[in-house]
Amino acid sequence: MNGYGYRLGAIGIISTFFIIIFSTVLMPMVLFRPDPTVTRNDYQAEAKVGDPTRGRRVYIREGCFYCHTQFTRLQDREYGPLVKAGDYVYETPHQLGTARTGPDLTNEGGKYPSEWQKAHLIQPRSVKPGSIMPSFSYLSDKDMNDLVCYLQTLGNKRTATQTAYVEAPAEYLNSTALGFALHERKHVDTNADASANAGRGLYTQNCASCHGLEARGNGPNSISLTKKPANFTRPFYKQYSDEMWYYRTSEGVPGTRMPRWELNLTEEERWYIVAYLKTLPKDVEATVDSIDQIDPIEQIRLPKLTKQQYEPHSGGSE
Amino acid sequence: MSGLLDKFLSNGEGSASRNFLVSALLWSLFGMGAGVFASMEFYNPDLVHNIPQFSMPHLRMFHVNAVTIGWLSMGYIGSMFHMVPTLCKNRLFSERLGNFTMWAWNLLMIGAFCTLLNGNTEGREYAELGAVLDVMAAIALCTVTFNVLMTVAHRRTKKLYVSLWYFLGSLFWFPLVYIIGQRTFVFLPGLNDAIIGWFYGHNILGMWFTTVGVGIMYYLIPRYTQAPLYSHGLSMLGFWGIALFYAPTGTHHILQSPVPEWLKAIAVISSIFLLVPVLTVLTNFFMTMKGKWGQGADDLPLRFAMTSALFYLMTCLQGPFQATRWINWYIHFTQWVVGHAHAALLGAFSFILTSAVYYALPRLTGREWHSQGLIRGHYWLKFIGFLIMYFSLTVAGLVQSAGWAMGIAVDQWANQLYPYWFVRAISGIMIVTGQAMFCYNAYRSLYSPRPVDVTAKTREVKV
Ligand code: HEC
Ligand code: HEC
Repeated sequence: MNGYGYRLGAIGIISTFFIIIFSTVLMPMVLFRPDPTVTRNDYQAEAKVGDPTRGRRVYIREGCFYCHTQFTRLQDREYGPLVKAGDYVYETPHQLGTARTGPDLTNEGGKYPSEWQKAHLIQPRSVKPGSIMPSFSYLSDKDMNDLVCYLQTLGNKRTATQTAYVEAPAEYLNSTALGFALHERKHVDTNADASANAGRGLYTQNCASCHGLEARGNGPNSISLTKKPANFTRPFYKQYSDEMWYYRTSEGVPGTRMPRWELNLTEEERWYIVAYLKTLPKDVEATVDSIDQIDPIEQIRLPKLTKQQYEPHSGGSE
Repeated sequence: MSGLLDKFLSNGEGSASRNFLVSALLWSLFGMGAGVFASMEFYNPDLVHNIPQFSMPHLRMFHVNAVTIGWLSMGYIGSMFHMVPTLCKNRLFSERLGNFTMWAWNLLMIGAFCTLLNGNTEGREYAELGAVLDVMAAIALCTVTFNVLMTVAHRRTKKLYVSLWYFLGSLFWFPLVYIIGQRTFVFLPGLNDAIIGWFYGHNILGMWFTTVGVGIMYYLIPRYTQAPLYSHGLSMLGFWGIALFYAPTGTHHILQSPVPEWLKAIAVISSIFLLVPVLTVLTNFFMTMKGKWGQGADDLPLRFAMTSALFYLMTCLQGPFQATRWINWYIHFTQWVVGHAHAALLGAFSFILTSAVYYALPRLTGREWHSQGLIRGHYWLKFIGFLIMYFSLTVAGLVQSAGWAMGIAVDQWANQLYPYWFVRAISGIMIVTGQAMFCYNAYRSLYSPRPVDVTAKTREVKV
């Protein structure tokens, strides 16, 4: 190359760079301007109780976004409906997050009572044994209340409009050959009372030791388990389809003591159990999964808990 | 007065470079220490209690900034200040300006230390620093660019060696990327903020750490092996490939969010095209190394550089692989990605920078390394430590995504990761120990009042 080549090279670098800036930085700003959707979050929902906008700043200051994401994806089962581009218009700086060390918080609002949230922030392990979330007990009361308010605005009623978002894997659904064959073999009417009665017997024999006679997840065995058995009276389970129940019962919950019942029970027995399980979820339970089901005044009023109650290291006896 | 001036803004040849490298070593200890501290809190979340400065997210912010802005960037600038004058056969344009930048940069890092540990952050990953510090970093970067550009402009050689292309390119576009990426003074709606955020988040890697790191590799490998570079043409191909394909890839970090599809398509395609520059660069290195691999047994800095090249290959094969939608849906959000980030910054670029420090410090100061044994120990601790960390994170990521694909809630499944957190903390301790040995070695070689018993290797200027 001669001296001229360098000049060409420099021009090359500069123009390449600007083409790229143009296409990936400027063009999206011009072309991509989603309108706010009804489900966007403008942090006004809880404004009566605290200051969610300030809570958001606390969220950023405490770096919650390093462990928590804020967007749901097509394949996520437990986080509610998919987000839309317009949901984010008021999110600056964005809190999409990069790692799901903890659960997604897109639709966190209303999932737990504020009291729980506060206890969880003060000492996560007091309400979730084995959790690795750091304790944020050093937050001042005001910070904590605003942060909880912010958490309660997340999702802004997105959950309320959507019902069945928990779905079994495809091989249990009619749409695949395997699932179709499964349904062909099934001759139990899971909606009939008789089947539920039959299921109750099987449940008492097999499941009650852990899940409890009243299915509240408090059977005698549960004492010794770190991951407590599921509480089927939670309204959350109302959205479970037959296939979802069947899938969970058959394959168990990896990482917990919940067995793979397909090894011990026949398909028929499992369908009977499903018929019974379906009858269990109740309307009222401490945990609620949609913001609409909470009485806003009752629920959002912030707790009077003192830190001591949840603080293993300071005060109180262990 | 002039005594004080000379003390702080020394005009001695190579002093800016030396001071930059030494500060980089100092900050590396802070940065890696914060990292290993945070990793222990993953295993034992109640390790420290009620101290906001030591809560895991604050440590993590500081860890990332200290290793990227502190250790890697300062080290890179120090290496450039040594390599550019050597390649141009003249002196650095202004040592005083270089030393001034060095102080400014250290001040910036002290600012980062004080703010990030208290959570004073902008809340944007990789762009956490607050407004004042952003401005400082931008100005410091521009002075570095100016200094290096003027050095090249006054060069006494005709040809520009590839390394110079890489350095100049990086110094041209990185200040721009930095300024665009900080978004300090603009207010963009959510997803646009994310798009630009990842434009920056990926390009601090692609257009700064990669390009300067590769430039350093191009400088070091022919010197270590005393062999001419295999092909100048290939190296230019690699350079233009990186310049073309790296910048638009950022959106592959948010492939599954509702950003425009065309942007995702551009990101995925250019991510895959990145294989071209990476493979050309590495072919060039490996062909240069041909028949000389054995030298790595005795020549420890060369061994660091070889390891770096191999990890670079690994990272860059992994990158395009996980940028495709088919893989990304499965491993996104998991610890796999954290492993990948460490493979790039720790495996590839930290190793090449270490090699550069081992190479440059004796030539800058005229003092041999205090102990070869410590270098050897450093190598093995860091190498094995890194491998353990990489595999524990990668496997943890696969375990996570397997659980999620089964429909298990994240909060239940998180408990499965304890063994991996534990192993990672151990590997972190190994890496920090290695780095501490490195720093101790540097300290002993530079500051112990030892007669200079070795004939100093002066800078050789043959290319
Ligand atoms: C070290 C990573 C980490 C950080 C940092 C972190 N969390 Fe968590 N978080 C977790 C993990 C793991 C869980 C799941 C176990 C549990 O519920 O405690 C969790 C659970 C939660 C939950 C319950 C979610 C659900 O639906 O079950 C909320 C709410 C929450 N975190 C809020 C926060 C807030 C607010 C912050 C910042 C102040 C924060 N987290 C910081 C790891 C983290
Ligand atoms: C050894 C104790 C044990 C026994 C026996 C047991 N379970 Fe479980 N079960 C668990 C645990 C632990 C979980 C996990 C709870 C969780 O997800 O947090 C669980 C979860 C479940 C779930 C999933 C709930 C969800 O959130 O999706 C279903 C369904 C279930 N069990 C059904 C059954 C049925 C039906 C039986 C009897 C045939 C049974 N279990 C017997 C311990 C047990």
